[in-house]
Amino acid sequence: MLICRRLLLLVSFAFLTFGGSAGLALAGEVCARDDTGARLCLDQPATRIAALSPGATELVWAAGAGEQVVAVVDYSDYPPAARKVPKVGSHTRLDMERLLQLQPDLVIAWVTGNPAEQVQMLKDLELPVFSIEPRSFEAVSDTIERLATLAGTETDGFVEADRFRRGIAELREQYASAEPVPVFYQVWDEPLMTVNDEHLIGEMIQLCGGDNIFGELERLVPRISTEAVVTGNPEAILAGGMGEENRHWLTRWQAFPQLTATARDNLFFIPPSLVQRPTPRMLEGTRLFCEKLEVARARRD
Amino acid sequence: MVITKRPIMQTLSTRKLVIDIPGRPDGYPLNLTIEAGQVWGVLGPNGAGKTTLLHTLAGLRAPRAGSLLLDDQPTGSLKRRAFSQQVGLVFQDHQDGFPATVLETALIGRHPWLSPWQMESADDVAMAERALEALDVLHLKDRLVSTLSGGERQRVAIATLMTQAPHTWLLDEPSNHLDLHHQVAVMKLLTERAKAGNAIFMCLHDLNLAARWCDNILLMYPDGEACWGPAERMLVPNALERLYDQDLQTVEVDGAPFFVPKRG
Amino acid sequence: MTRSLLPPLLFLALASLLAMAVSVAVGSVALSPLEVLSVFFGNAEPLQQTLVLELRLPRTLSAFATGGLLAVAGALMQVLLRNPLADPYVLGLSGGAAVGALLAMLAGLGGFLVSGSAFAGALLSTFLVFGLAHGTGSWTPSRLLLTGVVVAAGWGAVITLMLAISPARELPGMLYWLMGDVSYARTPWPGLLFLLAVCLLIVPLGRSLNVLARGPLQAAALGISVRPMEWLIYVLASLLTATAVTMAGSIGFVGLVVPHMLRLVLGNDQRLILPACALAGGTLLVLADTLARIVIAPEQLPVGVITALLGVPTFLYLLYRSR
Repeated sequence: MLICRRLLLLVSFAFLTFGGSAGLALAGEVCARDDTGARLCLDQPATRIAALSPGATELVWAAGAGEQVVAVVDYSDYPPAARKVPKVGSHTRLDMERLLQLQPDLVIAWVTGNPAEQVQMLKDLELPVFSIEPRSFEAVSDTIERLATLAGTETDGFVEADRFRRGIAELREQYASAEPVPVFYQVWDEPLMTVNDEHLIGEMIQLCGGDNIFGELERLVPRISTEAVVTGNPEAILAGGMGEENRHWLTRWQAFPQLTATARDNLFFIPPSLVQRPTPRMLEGTRLFCEKLEVARARRD
Repeated sequence: MVITKRPIMQTLSTRKLVIDIPGRPDGYPLNLTIEAGQVWGVLGPNGAGKTTLLHTLAGLRAPRAGSLLLDDQPTGSLKRRAFSQQVGLVFQDHQDGFPATVLETALIGRHPWLSPWQMESADDVAMAERALEALDVLHLKDRLVSTLSGGERQRVAIATLMTQAPHTWLLDEPSNHLDLHHQVAVMKLLTERAKAGNAIFMCLHDLNLAARWCDNILLMYPDGEACWGPAERMLVPNALERLYDQDLQTVEVDGAPFFVPKRG
Repeated sequence: MTRSLLPPLLFLALASLLAMAVSVAVGSVALSPLEVLSVFFGNAEPLQQTLVLELRLPRTLSAFATGGLLAVAGALMQVLLRNPLADPYVLGLSGGAAVGALLAMLAGLGGFLVSGSAFAGALLSTFLVFGLAHGTGSWTPSRLLLTGVVVAAGWGAVITLMLAISPARELPGMLYWLMGDVSYARTPWPGLLFLLAVCLLIVPLGRSLNVLARGPLQAAALGISVRPMEWLIYVLASLLTATAVTMAGSIGFVGLVVPHMLRLVLGNDQRLILPACALAGGTLLVLADTLARIVIAPEQLPVGVITALLGVPTFLYLLYRSR
C-alpha cells in the first residue's frame, strides 16, 4: 500500500522544488491509495469527513480525525461522540441530499457495504471518495495511517495505528505456541452462521491458537447446520451477535451434552462490537477471545 | 332503417369446400353460393359441423379442401380487413372480453372501415346507435356488457354485426337466449336486411324458425353428408327425420309447414 | 370518442408536471420553492444547483419513466390476457427480468448487456406463463394467476440462490433488484424515450387493441391478424418491463393499480388508457418515490415498499370482486 506522507511531501516540495515558503501552497497536498486500488490526492488535508459505515467512523476517530467528521450513517455508535454527528441514512441506502448538504471534502466509503451506484454518483459529483475495507489486522493499522494522512492527523493516527499493531504482535507472540483448541465461532443464531479462515475473525481465532472447525469452507461467512457443528465437535463455542445481550444463543448448545464444548462448559459470549468491526477495538476483542481459549485449555484436565 | 354505406353486391361462394373437423373423415364437398337477398338456414344435429362451417366461411379457420370465393376471387388473396368489410360473423357464445360498455362494443364493428389513425366519427357513433336501437338495446348503451342478460348480449352482438355492415352476414344461432318476441324481431330484421341487398347465412337449431324465415336451407348430417337448396325442397319430413333421428309430425300454418316431434 | 380523448390526457399531463414539481421541490434538505426556481434560472448556489439538477431531477425523471413503463406494460398485458389482474410483477415478468439482469451482472457484463439479459428474462418469463397457463383452453384467470404466481416465486428463489452464492461485494447492489428502488437509476433518458416511442406506436394500434380486448375470435372476424398482434403486444410488454427493471429493479403493482384506477374513471378505450397509463403511472411513482425519500428521512425507503402497500389491497379487492 502506497502512502504519501505529508511530511515527505513537505520536505520534497519545500526543499527540492520551490524552496522556502513559496511551496507551502502546494505543500498541503496529501495522497493515499484506497482498497479498490484508486489513488486519491487532496489539495489539503480533509476537514469535513463523511464516514459511510460504522466501521469507517471508528477508524476515522482512531486516526485522530474525529473532530473533522461531519456525517455518519446508522449504527455509528462508537465512540460515543459519533452519535452526535448528523446521520445520512444507512450504509445500504444513503441520503444523498443530506450528504451533499454537509459538503464533505472527503468521503470514506465501504467497498462492499455501500451501493456501488451511489458511490459512483458521489464520484461523478466530483466528491473525493476513499473506499476502504480492512481484511486483516495489518490492514486495520494501515487504514488508520492512510486516513490520518488524508485528514492531516498523522501525529495521533500513527500512534494509534502503532499501538494496535504492537498490541496484536504481542498477543501473536504470546499465543504462538499455544495448544490448538477446536473452535466454533457463531456469528448469527438464526440462521446459524460462522466465518472461515479468510475472515478477520478467522485470523483472530488462529492468532489465539484456535482451530476454526469451519475454517476450510469456501464462503467468507458460511451458513451451516446444527448437525455440522455437532459433527465438528468444537472444544469451545464463542458467540457474537447483534446486541450485547444475546447470551441465550449459547443455551441452544446445552441440548448437546456430547459436545466437548458443552460438557466442559466452554460456551463463551464475546461482545460482537469488539470483534465484528475491523477497528482498533479488535485488540480488546482479540485479547478477550484469547483469554476464553485459555480458559478452555485450563479445563482440559 | 337506413344503412349509410350500402354494401357492394358481393357473392360468397364455396368450391368443393370440405370443412376441417379434426378426427373426422372428409364430409361431402360443399358448392354453396350465398347471394344478395337470400336468407340461408343451416340445420343439423349437435356436432354436425355447423359452427365449423360458419367459422370457415368467415375465414377464421382453413378448410381441409376446396376454396372460398368472394365474387369469384379466392378470399386468400384479400386482406383480412377488406374481407371483414364484406363478411361478418356473430358468434354463438360470447367470449367475456375486457369490460366494455354496450356502445363501445357495437362501435367495434366499425374497425374494418377505419384506418389506423382514424377515430370513430359522429357518423360511426350514430350508426352504432341506430343498430342498437334496431335491436332494442339502445337504452342499455352505457351499461357494461358483462352486466347484461344472455338475450341482451345476443342482441348487442347482432347490433355489432349490423354496425360492421358487411355484405354477407353469418350468424351462429342468432335466436339463442332470445325470448319469443325478440326471436321474431331478429328474424324480421334479418329478412329485411336480405331484402335490402344483404346475404344472410345462419345456423339455427329451431326447425320452425328456419321454415318460417329462410328461403334456402343447408342440411348437415352427422356423417358428413349435406344437401342444400330452396327451403320448400329441403324442408320435407323424410329428410328432417333422418337429420335429427327423430320422428316428426307436420302441420300446415299460414301455408307453411310446421314440424312437431312425435310422442313416444 | 375523439371528444373525450384530449381533456383527460391534458389533465393527467398537468398532474404529472405538478407531481414532478413537488418531487423536485421536496427532499431531505429543505429548499424553498424560490430557491428551486432560481436553480432553473441559473442563479442559485452551487450546492442547490447540484441538489436539484444532479440528484432530484434525474431521480424524478427516472421514477416517472419507470412508473410509466410499468403501467403501460401492465395495461398491455391486461388487454392481451383479457384479464385486469395481469401485471408484470404478479405474473413474474419482473422476476425474470431481475434474474436476467443479475446473471449478467454476475458474469461481469455491464450497461447494454444487462438490459438485454433482463429483456431475455422477461421474455422467457412471459413465455413460460403464457405457454403453461394457456394449455389447451383459453387463459382462465385462476390458471393464469396461479401460473404467474408460481413462476414469480420460482424467480424469487433463483434470486435468493444467486444472492446466497454471489460474492459479498455484489450483495448491496443486487439486493435492490428485489426491492425496487429508483435511487440507483443512472440515467432516465433511455426509459423516457422508449416510453414516448411506445406511446406514439400505440395511438395507431389502439383501436386494434380495443378489438383484441373483445377476444381473439371476434378480433379475427373484424379483420385483425390476431397472432402477429398478440406477439407484438407480448414483446412490447416484455421490453417495457425489462427497461423498467434495469432502471429501478422490480417494483410491484404499478402495472395493476394504475390501469385499474384509470379504467374506473376513463372507461376502456385503449387509445386513451395507454397514454393515460404512461402519464398516471409516472405520476404515481414520482409521488411514491417522494414519499419514500421523506417519510422517515434521513432513512430512505425503497419505493417498491410504497407501491406494494398501495398495490396489495387493490389486487385483493380486484380478485374479490372478480369472483
